[in-house]
Amino acid sequence: MSEAITLLAMFEDIEPASEGVEKLQQLGLNDDDMNVISGIPVKHTILGRPAAITYVSRIGMFGAILGMFLGIFFIYGIPYFYPLLVGGQAIFPIPQGIIITFEMTMLGLMGFSFLGMFIDSGFPSYTPKEYTPEISDGKVALLFSCPVSEQEKFIDALKNAGAVTVAPAEARHL
Amino acid sequence: MTTIAKPIARPHGEEHEDPRQYLMHDPLPRGQMNAMVMESMHETSPIFWLITAVLAATVVFSLGYEWYILIMQGQGMAGVTRPDYWGVFLVNTVFWIGISHAGTFISAILRVLKVESRRPFTRAAELMTTFGLVQAGLSIFMHLGRVWLVYWMFPIPNQRTIWPDFHSPLMWDLMAITTYLLCSTMYLFLPLIPDLAMARDRTEGGWLKQFYKILALGFRGTEGEWKNLTTAMNIFAFAIIPVMFSVHTIVSWDFAMATRPGWNSTVFGPYFVIGALHSGMAAVAIVLFLLRSTMKHYKYFIRPEHFNTIGMLMLLVSMAWAYFYFNDYLVPWYGGDVWDKLFQEYAEKGPKAYLWYTMLTCNIAVPWLILWNRKWRETPWLLAIAGILINVGMYLERYIIIPVGVTINRMPFTWRQYEPRIEVPMTVGTFAFFLLLYMLASRLIPLIPVWEVQEGQEAHLIRKIGKAEISTLSDME
Amino acid sequence: MATELGMPAFTNQSQEEEPVGRWGMVIDQDLCTGCQACVAACSMENNVPIVGEDDASYGRYMHWIRIERLWENTEYPEVKMTQFQPMLCQQCHNAPCEPVCPVYASVHSMSEDLNLQVYNRCVGTRYCGNNCPYQVRSFNWLDYQDERIHPELVSLHNHANPDVTVRRRGVMEKCTFCIQRIHKAEDKAKSEGREVEDGEFTTACAQACPANAITFGRLDDPESGINKLAAANRSRAGHALEELRTLPRITYLAGGV
Repeated sequence: MSEAITLLAMFEDIEPASEGVEKLQQLGLNDDDMNVISGIPVKHTILGRPAAITYVSRIGMFGAILGMFLGIFFIYGIPYFYPLLVGGQAIFPIPQGIIITFEMTMLGLMGFSFLGMFIDSGFPSYTPKEYTPEISDGKVALLFSCPVSEQEKFIDALKNAGAVTVAPAEARHL
Repeated sequence: MTTIAKPIARPHGEEHEDPRQYLMHDPLPRGQMNAMVMESMHETSPIFWLITAVLAATVVFSLGYEWYILIMQGQGMAGVTRPDYWGVFLVNTVFWIGISHAGTFISAILRVLKVESRRPFTRAAELMTTFGLVQAGLSIFMHLGRVWLVYWMFPIPNQRTIWPDFHSPLMWDLMAITTYLLCSTMYLFLPLIPDLAMARDRTEGGWLKQFYKILALGFRGTEGEWKNLTTAMNIFAFAIIPVMFSVHTIVSWDFAMATRPGWNSTVFGPYFVIGALHSGMAAVAIVLFLLRSTMKHYKYFIRPEHFNTIGMLMLLVSMAWAYFYFNDYLVPWYGGDVWDKLFQEYAEKGPKAYLWYTMLTCNIAVPWLILWNRKWRETPWLLAIAGILINVGMYLERYIIIPVGVTINRMPFTWRQYEPRIEVPMTVGTFAFFLLLYMLASRLIPLIPVWEVQEGQEAHLIRKIGKAEISTLSDME
Repeated sequence: MATELGMPAFTNQSQEEEPVGRWGMVIDQDLCTGCQACVAACSMENNVPIVGEDDASYGRYMHWIRIERLWENTEYPEVKMTQFQPMLCQQCHNAPCEPVCPVYASVHSMSEDLNLQVYNRCVGTRYCGNNCPYQVRSFNWLDYQDERIHPELVSLHNHANPDVTVRRRGVMEKCTFCIQRIHKAEDKAKSEGREVEDGEFTTACAQACPANAITFGRLDDPESGINKLAAANRSRAGHALEELRTLPRITYLAGGV
């Protein structure tokens, strides 16, 4: 098995970066072995990459269901366990049920979406990572791993596509 | 070198305008924009710290000392009495929740509607939401008779085996405001992460670097991270809009559910929501004017075109407010029972009638006279003055509903006019606290979402169609 | 569990046949002279604090019953008084003050059909005070019992009724139909194995009234004093703010003019 080396190619803009992605794909690199790091979100079709899978919406829906049950417990569970008569209103009121269930469902949806983003992205993570600060200055980076023996081929292809630098990626504290 | 955009004077009727005056067509390299934002954060003048010190002293005095007196002596230190059980603290609560709605309107509704001119000021508006809700929460605590027992209102298991009563609109309030506060804080934080990463990258060391590093969560900008972030942001943008509508509706139901004349009106729900937007948009105009005037480089980001957008929204919302107010006025005037009519009569002809007239002037006349003219809308200081007047008017609107309106009830023997006492310094304290939080935030977090500005600039193009240079927008999402 | 207490689980109680109630009052406005003996008696019986002249003139008097004096909108000397109106908690069956309390401090008693104010649960939101259409709820704005506020009234502490708690600041209170007397009478009757007889005890205000304008008794006993009074004066009988359908337990007999 040949060793793999992780390289970071820096591009000025999205266009040359998508060219670089295409070059890597032509050279036979697996889509899973490359990642595009950018300062703004770039649509996967612009880059020519497969869509990234996100579980955030699924976790959010799960949270919405949890929130709904919590709301139902508040408005119907509490009077079931501790019934107290107030003002001639029904013990299990329907209008208040709608209000509280709605609020708790939305809280569950948004709260779990937020947590889902943390979980899915692995946040917070303070271990050393491959990164350069120029990315937050607007550059687009292409992080990929290829066999050590073939790295010259990849580096030349990317330089032709317009990469400013291609260098071994070092994991550093952000 | 910084680029300052000057608005090009346009004679009335001339249709050709240079799109390059707009922020989206005047891009700077991202690194330069980042540097501008970081510089405006870290360069401060002695006046800034002087103002901060004065605000902090005001907060300590009014929210520390005065509130301590209120708690130790009792609600009698305030101006409340029978039948004026609720007073200025409730007005403050409704006012601050109203201010907070503008943030969500701009960062959520304008995002969903894809209004591009929202891009530079979503965070400044969203900060208003969070800080406004803090003041609202404080104000509601201030009015409680036994505030040290407020945890009895929280629905958590307890050894007293008593739970709160969700029949009560105050409990709906608690659920709604908690939901809104938590969700808007999360919604503030989500788009902030990439900018915190930028700040982390541009800070050398010290406690500030640690602060940014921890809050940036290790964000790099990989495809997966962006996908998760934008998915979460989209969920929030769509979901927080109904929450925003429901929150102020539920606050209005504190009054509409009461059997008091003048309060028991079915139009209160939408009326209060529009009122919240009215005062909130006006507050955004004030905040943007202050930011643009005081923060370095912000004249690049916040331009007359943004004030134009806000001004148009202010005008639109003021018309909606006038519609709802007319509704709320016409129905009891025409066929309401004697107590509702007395309520109206007292507001218009009683000893506090000058408040009623001021309210109508500020809420309707001011926007309708000033905001029609595009040149006036694009003048920041004029919009800020209109914003202040509108906020005065909206504060008075709530003052008339609560402390003035609460005088009238079905037992004329009890009628008595409310006069605020300790509420005055404590109200000043909430305003000072809001400003203080904002000023401290402006030193710690970048107020301009630079990545969103760049995102927008990437998507905008100037295209020559025929003889004209037309601004075009590509859908890159 | 809700149905075990005999309460309907889903329906709104007020839509059913209106329950007759248990404890009620008849107040004859024709007999009332406006002497305010009931106010004084109630304050002494229930440890109602004296707030002092300044606060009372601002409306913070804490009397659980008040005599409303109103006159028609005429010029002096054509002053025309209406009948005196003693106003106290109507113990509504559909009390508007109950559903608005967020902490269940204002609840409805099933056994006595009274509106209960639970002092030690109240957190002082004062929504109940706002929502009472009769405006009969009093709030403890300050610690009026505290000797630092009213040192001259400290000696009154010796007169406090030991059967009734003393409330601190931040707590809402209101007329309870002298529930301490109700419970004392019921306990006595229970220990003797019988029902409470009509007229065996009465509230402080009814006891003190020199004109016998206030009568207290059982509503569910057709032979009770108040039911006989109401039946004998049907043409004058009415409820305060009848149109609100709060189903109050106090019947007012309008005075002749």
